[in-house]
Amino acid sequence: MTITIGRAMLAAVTLAVAPFAVQAQDFIPENPECIAPANPGGGWDFTCRQVGKSLQDEGIINSTMQVVNLSGGGGGVAFAEVVNKRADDNDLIVAASSATATRLAQNAFPGNTMDQVRWLGSIGADYGVIAVAADSEYADLPALMAKMKEDPKAISIGGGSAVGGWDHLKVLIAAQKAGIEDVRGVKYIAFAGGGEAVTQLLAGSLQAFTGDLSEAKGFVESGDIKVLAVLAPERLEGEFADIPTAREQGIDAIGANWRGFYAGGDMSDAAYDYWVNAIGTLYASDAWKTVMENNGLAPLDLQGAEFEAFVQESVDSITALSKEIGIIQ
Amino acid sequence: MSDRIFGGIGLLIALIFAWQATIIQESFLSDAVGPKTFPLIIAAVLGISSLYFLFKPDPEPTWPTLGRFAEIFFAALVMIAYAELLPEVGFLIATAVASTYLTWRLGTGPLQSVIVGIATSVGIYVVFKLILGLSLASGPLGF
Amino acid sequence: MDTLSSLADGFAVALTFQNIGLALIGCFLGTIMGALPGLGPSNGVAILIPLAFTLGLGPTPALILLTSVYYGAMYGGRISSILLNIPGDEPAMMTCLDGYPMAQKGRAGEALALSGIASFVGAFFATWGLVLLAPQLVKVALLFGPAEYFALFTLAFATLGGISASNQAKSAFAAALGLGLAMVGVDTQTGVPRFTFGEVHLYDGIDFLVAIVGLFALSEVFVFLEHRGSAAEEAAKPKMDIGKIVPSWGLIRYCTPTMLRTTVLGFIAGVLPGAGASLGSFISYSMEKKLVDPKGETFGKGDPRGVAAPEAGNNAAAGGALVPMLALGVPGSGTTAVLLAVLLSLNITPGPLLFSQNPDVVWGLIAALFIGNFMLLAMNIPMVGLFVRVLMVPPRILMPIVAMVSFVGIYGISGSSFDLLVMVGFGILGWVLRKLDVPLVPVILGTLLGNEMEVNMRRAVTINDGDYSILVGSPLAIALWTIAVVGFVLPIFYGKVLKRKMKNPSEEGSLKD
Repeated sequence: MTITIGRAMLAAVTLAVAPFAVQAQDFIPENPECIAPANPGGGWDFTCRQVGKSLQDEGIINSTMQVVNLSGGGGGVAFAEVVNKRADDNDLIVAASSATATRLAQNAFPGNTMDQVRWLGSIGADYGVIAVAADSEYADLPALMAKMKEDPKAISIGGGSAVGGWDHLKVLIAAQKAGIEDVRGVKYIAFAGGGEAVTQLLAGSLQAFTGDLSEAKGFVESGDIKVLAVLAPERLEGEFADIPTAREQGIDAIGANWRGFYAGGDMSDAAYDYWVNAIGTLYASDAWKTVMENNGLAPLDLQGAEFEAFVQESVDSITALSKEIGIIQ
Repeated sequence: MSDRIFGGIGLLIALIFAWQATIIQESFLSDAVGPKTFPLIIAAVLGISSLYFLFKPDPEPTWPTLGRFAEIFFAALVMIAYAELLPEVGFLIATAVASTYLTWRLGTGPLQSVIVGIATSVGIYVVFKLILGLSLASGPLGF
Repeated sequence: MDTLSSLADGFAVALTFQNIGLALIGCFLGTIMGALPGLGPSNGVAILIPLAFTLGLGPTPALILLTSVYYGAMYGGRISSILLNIPGDEPAMMTCLDGYPMAQKGRAGEALALSGIASFVGAFFATWGLVLLAPQLVKVALLFGPAEYFALFTLAFATLGGISASNQAKSAFAAALGLGLAMVGVDTQTGVPRFTFGEVHLYDGIDFLVAIVGLFALSEVFVFLEHRGSAAEEAAKPKMDIGKIVPSWGLIRYCTPTMLRTTVLGFIAGVLPGAGASLGSFISYSMEKKLVDPKGETFGKGDPRGVAAPEAGNNAAAGGALVPMLALGVPGSGTTAVLLAVLLSLNITPGPLLFSQNPDVVWGLIAALFIGNFMLLAMNIPMVGLFVRVLMVPPRILMPIVAMVSFVGIYGISGSSFDLLVMVGFGILGWVLRKLDVPLVPVILGTLLGNEMEVNMRRAVTINDGDYSILVGSPLAIALWTIAVVGFVLPIFYGKVLKRKMKNPSEEGSLKD
C-alpha cells in the first residue's frame, strides 16, 4: 500500500517538475551510496540510514542504499574526498547539516568551500530551544536574558557543541537580539551531546540549556525541564504548540539545525535532477512525515536551487556572526 | 642503558609536547581553563616519570639481533604498504599479498603461505563483506 | 511487585519463536565479534543495524537482536584475551593480565569457563539491578557534576598504579602517554585543533580502537616475528594445552566472593554516564587486587580471581550502562550510544518517560537480556572446547589472520587508510613499550578517558568562573579524591617493602602485560 502511494507521489512530483522530467528518467543510480561523514551512531549516520531505508521502502530507489561511514575532521575528510576524488560520482550522496554549514563558514574544512559541491535538498529541520530546569526561577526567555545581561557569571548555559559551534551560536544569536552587547561574556559550557548537557541541567551544575528540540523532547514530556523558547519563525504544530517562540517574546532569534544532502560538484545534471526529485518525493511521503514526527524534526522543504540558496544564506550569516564575536578573523 | 635512553627520549617527547601545547592557537572565545592547561599537566607527568627512568633504570631487556630488527622493520613496511595500497588495488588482492608475506615470515613454507594468504583473504571477505555487509575497499576489479 | 508483573509481561513479549531465534543469532554473532580483535561491542552493534532494518524488524525484536549482540560481545571479548593475549575489545583488556598466564600454565579451558561464569554472574545481577533500581539509580547519576567526574577519573588512574606494580613510574609514564594521545584532535571545548600538525585526519582525534588494536594485536605479531623459531617460542608451546574444561566447584566457590564484589563495583561504574564498561573492569580488577592480593604475589601471574574480577565487572557494567541510556537517554558507553541511535531511529525516545510510555519495549528488552544471558552461558561453556582449539592453529598462521582481521575491522568502520597507518605506528610503539616493560593498559586507559577527564575539569572550573577550588567542592568529590590518594600512595609504600623482600629478576616484558 505504501508503495503505491509512493509511486503516485513520484508521478505527481515528476509532473510538477515537468521541465526536468525527461532528463530525470535518463538516470537511475546503479549502486546508490550515502556517505555518513561520521562513525556509526551519530546524526549523519542516522540521516543516511533512515533516508536510505525510507527511499527503498517507498520504492523511489530500486536497490539498497549502501551507507559508508567516512569519519574525520567533523565531516571535513568526507567533504575533501567528495571534492577531490569523487566529484563526478552520480550514485553518491552525502549527509550534511547545520554543523556542515557552520564549519564551512568558519573555514574549518581547510581549502574547501560550499560551492565545490552540489546541494540536493533538505529532509527537515530541528529547531533550537533554550530551556531551564522545571523548578527554575526563570519563567520566560526575557527574564533569563535580563539576568544574563545583569550578571553574565550567574548563568552557566550548556549545550552539545564546542565553543563556537551551532548550539553556542544559537544562544549568542538570542543574546544579541536581547540586547546583550558583549555576547562573549555569556558563560557557555560545551558537552559531548545534548543529553549530557540536560543531565547536568537536572543535576544543578547548569542554569540553562541550549540545544535542539529533539534532544530535549523526552525531558519536556516528562516535565523535568521547561522550554523557555523555541527558536522557530512560528509556533510548531502538534504536541509542542504551546511552547512560545523567541520572536513572540520580543527576541527575534531563529536557529534551525537542518538536515540534508550534498553531492559531488561534477555530478551530471540528469543525476542531480534525479536525486533532487528523489529527496523531494521522499519528503512529501506520509511515511517520512511519521519519521519526522517521531524524531522531532520540523518541516523544512527545500530542494535543488532553493536549498542551495538556503545553505549559502546560512553560511553567510554564520560567517558574519562568527566574525562579529571573534571566532574567525 | 635502554631505560636511560628511553628516559631521555621520554623527556624529549615531554618537552616537544609542552612546546606544541604552548603554540596551540587559542580562539578569541575560550573557557576559563583554555586548551593548553591540561596538556601542560600531562607534559609535566611525562617529564617527571622520564627523569625517574634516567636516574633509576630497570635491568636491561634482551634486544633482538639485527636480523630480527630487520624482520620487524620489513613487516611494518609491508603493513604500511598494505594500508596505502588497500584502496587502490582492492581488498582481496592486497589482503592476500600481505597475509602471504606475514605467514611466510613467521615460518611457513612459501607454497603453503600463498594458500593460507589467499584463504585468509577470501575467508575475511566472505564473513565481513558478504555476511556482515561491511564496506571493504573495492579495487579496479570490483573486489 | 509492580515491577515483577511488568517483568512477567516482558517475558511474554520476549518468549516468541522469532525473538528467541533472534537472541540466539545475536548472542552467537556477538560472541564472535567480541572475540575478533578490532571489532568491539559498539562496532558489532553498529554493523548489525542494517541487518535489523533489512529484516524489517519491529522495535522490540530489533532491540532484542542488538542487545544480544551487545551482551554477546561482552562475553566474547575475553576469549582472545585469554587465548592470544589480545583483548577482543577494550573492556576485556584486564582479562589478559591473568587470563593469558593461566592459559600458559595449561589452564586455558578453566580460564575460559570460569570467565564465562563470571560474565554470567556479572550480567545476571546487573540485569536485576536494572530491573529493580533503574528509577532510583538515575538519581545517583545526578549527583555527579563535572567536578565529581574529574575526581572519579583521577581515581581510575590512581588505582591503576597497582596493576603493573613493578615500576610505578612506568605506569605513570604510560598513563601520561595515553592522555597525551587523547589530546590530539579538535578541542571539544573551544574547537581549536591541538597536536594535529595540520593533518585533517587527526582532527577527530585518535580512535581508541585503533590504538588498542595496534598496541595489542599488531605488537603481538611483531613479538612473534622477533621470537620465531627461538627458544622462547619452543618453550611456550608445550604448555599450551587445554587443561580441564570444566572448573571444579572448589574453584568456582573460591572465586564467588570476588565475582559478587566486582559485580557491584562494575554495575556502579556502568551506571555513571561516560564511565562505561572499560572503567568497570579496570576498577574491578585493581580494587580486587588491592583487597585480596595487596602484595602482588599472585595477581598478574594467572590468579583465577584475576580472571573472574574483570569479567564480572565488565559485564555488570554493560548492564549498568543501560540504566542511564534507558532512563535518561544519556549513553554511558560507546555501545549504548549506538543503541541510543537505534532506539531513536525506531521511533522510541529514551528518557524519563520511556518506562511509562513504551513498557513493552523496555520490559521485553530486559526479559531478552535475561534470556540472552542464559543462552550465552549455555553457549559459552560447551564452546570452550571449540575456542581452545584455536590454540591448535600454529601462531605462524593464526597471527597473520589476527593482523588482517584487525585491519579489516578498523578499515570497515572508518574507511580510512590513515587509521591503518596510525595503527601500524601503534603496533611498533606497543612492541617497544613491551620490550621496555612499560605496561600498555594505562596507555589505553589514558586515550579512553583523557578527553572526558580534561573536559570535566574545564567544565567544573569554567562554571566556577576560573576558580579551581570547585574540584574539591563537594563531599562526594572529597571522598573520591581521598580514595584516589590512598590508592596511589599505599602501593608505593608496600611496593618498596615488597621489592626488598623478593628481588626476583624481571621476566620478559612481552609475556607479562
